[in-house]
Amino acid sequence: MNDRYDSVILHFVARVVMIPLIVVFGIYVLLHGELSPGGGFQAGAIVAAALLLVRLALGNRQAALRIPQGLLIWLACIGLGIYMFGGILPLILGANFLDYAPIPVEWYNQFAGEHRTPRSMGIFIIEFGVFFGVAAVLVLIYDLIAGSSRQ
Amino acid sequence: MKLLMLAFLAGLIALLVWASADLPDRADPHAPANQHLSPELTEMTESEVVIPNLVSAILADFRSYDTLGETFVIFTAGLAVLLVLQRSRRVPEEDGDE
Repeated sequence: MNDRYDSVILHFVARVVMIPLIVVFGIYVLLHGELSPGGGFQAGAIVAAALLLVRLALGNRQAALRIPQGLLIWLACIGLGIYMFGGILPLILGANFLDYAPIPVEWYNQFAGEHRTPRSMGIFIIEFGVFFGVAAVLVLIYDLIAGSSRQ
Repeated sequence: MKLLMLAFLAGLIALLVWASADLPDRADPHAPANQHLSPELTEMTESEVVIPNLVSAILADFRSYDTLGETFVIFTAGLAVLLVLQRSRRVPEEDGDE
């Protein structure tokens, strides 16, 4: 599992076909979380699957260099921080914790040309948090287990 | 013994299949499970959240404490694996900095 497989077909399919497709699909699932079936958990798992495919196809040592372990831990913390931000922002603006009603959305609606309600904006924020947390933790656990078997 | 177990399992399957005939249809609005909270959540999704995905509205808005807890569980799992499996780079004689 740790060595690099020198197969042209495997490298081409993994790097050119599969991984960009999976990452784009994961981001699509994340951004369409409140329009269609999807959301933070699912998108995080899909993007983590793409990153694990990099590790399986190109070898652990080479792929782990691109996303160091410290960055993964930071990403997981940032994901939780985004979620807590989505919870504490209404608290500052005078509502209950995770009650998204007072989140200001006019600037976003003008900027993006959408008609979002404050509550769907809150869902959008916390799904980003869940996405970063889930994707980073899944890749982190794989890296740790594969790394501990390497020595 | 094996025959007895098979007979018991067959009886259990027959009982469950017979009991499942009495269950209400899926998504039946008059079923008891759909009488209490589901209509309010559906109406609030249409009137306040205004997103087409009812599951996301319940998961990330009405039950967002639950989702926060799930995220913390996943984060804690990652931290636990990190603490157990991380290879320590400290040499044994200087591990007294805590």
